[in-house]
Amino acid sequence: MIEKGKISSLQMAMIMYPVVVATGDLFIPAVTAKHANRDLWISPLWGSLIGFFVVYIIFQLHKLFPKETLIQQTERIFGRIVGKIIGISFLFVMLQINSQIIRQYGQFVGNVFLVKTPILIVIGSIVLVCGFAVRGGLEVIARCAQLFVPIVLLTWVLFFILLIPDMEPRNMLPIMAKGILPSIKGAIPQAAIFEHFVLLTFMLPYLTDLKKGMKWGVISVFITMLTLVLITMSSLFIFGDITSELAFPVMIAIRYIEMAGFIEHLEALMMAIWVIGTFLKISTYYYVFVLGISQWLHLSDYRPMVFPSGFLLIAFSIWVATDVQEFLHFLSTVSYFQSASFEIGIPTILLLAALAQKKIRKNKEGKKG
Amino acid sequence: MKLSYLFICGAVFILLSGCWDRVEVNDLALILGSAVDKNKNNTIEISAQVFIPKKSGGGEQGGMSSDGGNGNTLVRSATGVTVADALSKLKMKLPREAFWGHSKILVIGEKMAEEGISDLVDFMMRSPEARVRKKVFISKGSAKHTLELISPLERSTVEVLREMTEIHSVMDTPIKRLAQMMAGNANAAAVPWIEILPPEPDVKKNQTVPYIKGTAIFKKDKMVGHIDDKVTQGVLWLRNEMRTTTISVAPSEAEGLVTLNVIKNKSELVPKINDNQWSITVKINPVASLIENTTNLSYKNPNFSNELEKDLNEAIENRVKKALAQVQKEMNADIFGFSEAFYRKYPKKWEQTKDQWNEIFPKVKVYVQVASKLVSTGQADTGISRPEKEVKKK
Repeated sequence: MIEKGKISSLQMAMIMYPVVVATGDLFIPAVTAKHANRDLWISPLWGSLIGFFVVYIIFQLHKLFPKETLIQQTERIFGRIVGKIIGISFLFVMLQINSQIIRQYGQFVGNVFLVKTPILIVIGSIVLVCGFAVRGGLEVIARCAQLFVPIVLLTWVLFFILLIPDMEPRNMLPIMAKGILPSIKGAIPQAAIFEHFVLLTFMLPYLTDLKKGMKWGVISVFITMLTLVLITMSSLFIFGDITSELAFPVMIAIRYIEMAGFIEHLEALMMAIWVIGTFLKISTYYYVFVLGISQWLHLSDYRPMVFPSGFLLIAFSIWVATDVQEFLHFLSTVSYFQSASFEIGIPTILLLAALAQKKIRKNKEGKKG
Repeated sequence: MKLSYLFICGAVFILLSGCWDRVEVNDLALILGSAVDKNKNNTIEISAQVFIPKKSGGGEQGGMSSDGGNGNTLVRSATGVTVADALSKLKMKLPREAFWGHSKILVIGEKMAEEGISDLVDFMMRSPEARVRKKVFISKGSAKHTLELISPLERSTVEVLREMTEIHSVMDTPIKRLAQMMAGNANAAAVPWIEILPPEPDVKKNQTVPYIKGTAIFKKDKMVGHIDDKVTQGVLWLRNEMRTTTISVAPSEAEGLVTLNVIKNKSELVPKINDNQWSITVKINPVASLIENTTNLSYKNPNFSNELEKDLNEAIENRVKKALAQVQKEMNADIFGFSEAFYRKYPKKWEQTKDQWNEIFPKVKVYVQVASKLVSTGQADTGISRPEKEVKKK
């Protein structure tokens, strides 16, 4: 095996939390609100169903082919050539999704905080830091997550408490005024981020306690869902109907905090935890790409791939769109189908194919015997 | 190996300083509040109140009293065709970079308010610098003049207005709330209306403060009129925003007045649609304490205090009805949240009829139910200032 590190299933859950919540937390409430309006807090509940589904599929696959990642599993199931093609296209999508994340990060930091700094510097520095983490391996990323995720979670809770005086819970009424459909439509962007749980396939082989893996995977989906419900609810309670018109409702809500005349301007704190979360998210995707490509090429070590891939990531994050409008359009149209077909579609097809093969083999053996 | 350490150290120095977006405090002009006016030739004038850091130094406290007020602030203004245009011209008049993070209020001039403020609200919500908690006021006449006043007590007039909304029972409209009201079902908004307190005869003309004297009422984005502070009280009762207020009532049993202080309140709107007859029941539950009693009644007696509660109920009901008469019937502006209440309870019916809300709203029947509660009669009884035999105990 290329990766020699071992992580616990709790660490795995902690890695997955920022992978799903980070970056999306700022944009998602507004996108969801466009469809779901006052039901936007229900959408994460629907979205999380996808999360549970993906976790289930990945675990079933891992049961059939233990100690292997998705890249190795495809080759097993579909043979060398088809497997390689599916593997590389999956990795390509991983690369592209990560460059979207990096671009989002660069765009946001550039728009709101470092207006004059060239976006290449913002992007380059985060990729460099993530590159160091990835070179350290899965264990290093896991320990970073173990250190940072509790801080991130606590800060979210703190923000929520500080926002309570300004909340108007009646903003959520009437619940489901136009039926269930708007909240399901709003769940599409939510589902797109819950699909990231597919990355579990690259962590399961390195678990020390695989038995608890399923449990922690489900807990991770659940905590993620809870966080998203809290985030969407607080922006709804504070902004009501105008949530969908704001670009970054969560950040504006946190900017709105004012307590005792001096607890204000907390957006700097939010930015800090947002960067931490984004760092973990980019690192995990980065790691998955590097590990996957090394397995695809049957290399003996993935370390030589780290910095070249980082270079590729920087280039891709610039290439992903020529300007903001195009980028937003891409994010709200094509990217849903792209990530759904690769992050749900491929694992599901793999599982079905593997199960079918197993059955055929059994039948053959049965006939022989 | 050594070379790579050197390289990393060098990179840290270069990358961590954030040199592109570095801002020094002494290059900033802290803007405390701003005012927007519309001039006669339809240009927009923006005025900013800028904090002067030198004068507020602790060592100069003695020197400040000599010039009467405290020249802690200065006002700069510029005109342009749009808000952003005026702002960029305003920047030309400041030797430092304008910093809007501390800007806490926005005063809109009367003329601007009458001609529409949606562009302004759009700009204020869009701009990444602006804070959505900024409080909005509508001033009688020129808004710029409000900023130019020199407050004898507070650091600046901005501080005066901000404090006033925080302690008194007046409308309090942060720009976020204004945007919500303008975008909401009601399509009407209420913003505090300020006037300038006439200065004392023996001080300079600009040594006075603006104060909140009622509420400006908006329909769509245009101001349609303003109501005085008495009527505003009725509006606050309806909106469940009444914090504290004092009300004097005249009991029927004896001569004189009793003044009550409302400590807290909870109002609730209960909508009902019955065969196309739309009605709202307003349930108001204030808690009051007695602060002055010029009658000879002893409110230790529960009979009298029950009567007093009824009198208070009636007084509040009258205020609410007054507000309804003026705002609902005359101005036809739904600033009470009726449309929201109907939408919450009857979402389907609302969807069908929301286009006719303008016609329905003045016809909505409002029933007012006040159930006040007297919790304290103060630290002394009626016998404290008059002979025992004059006090009416039964």
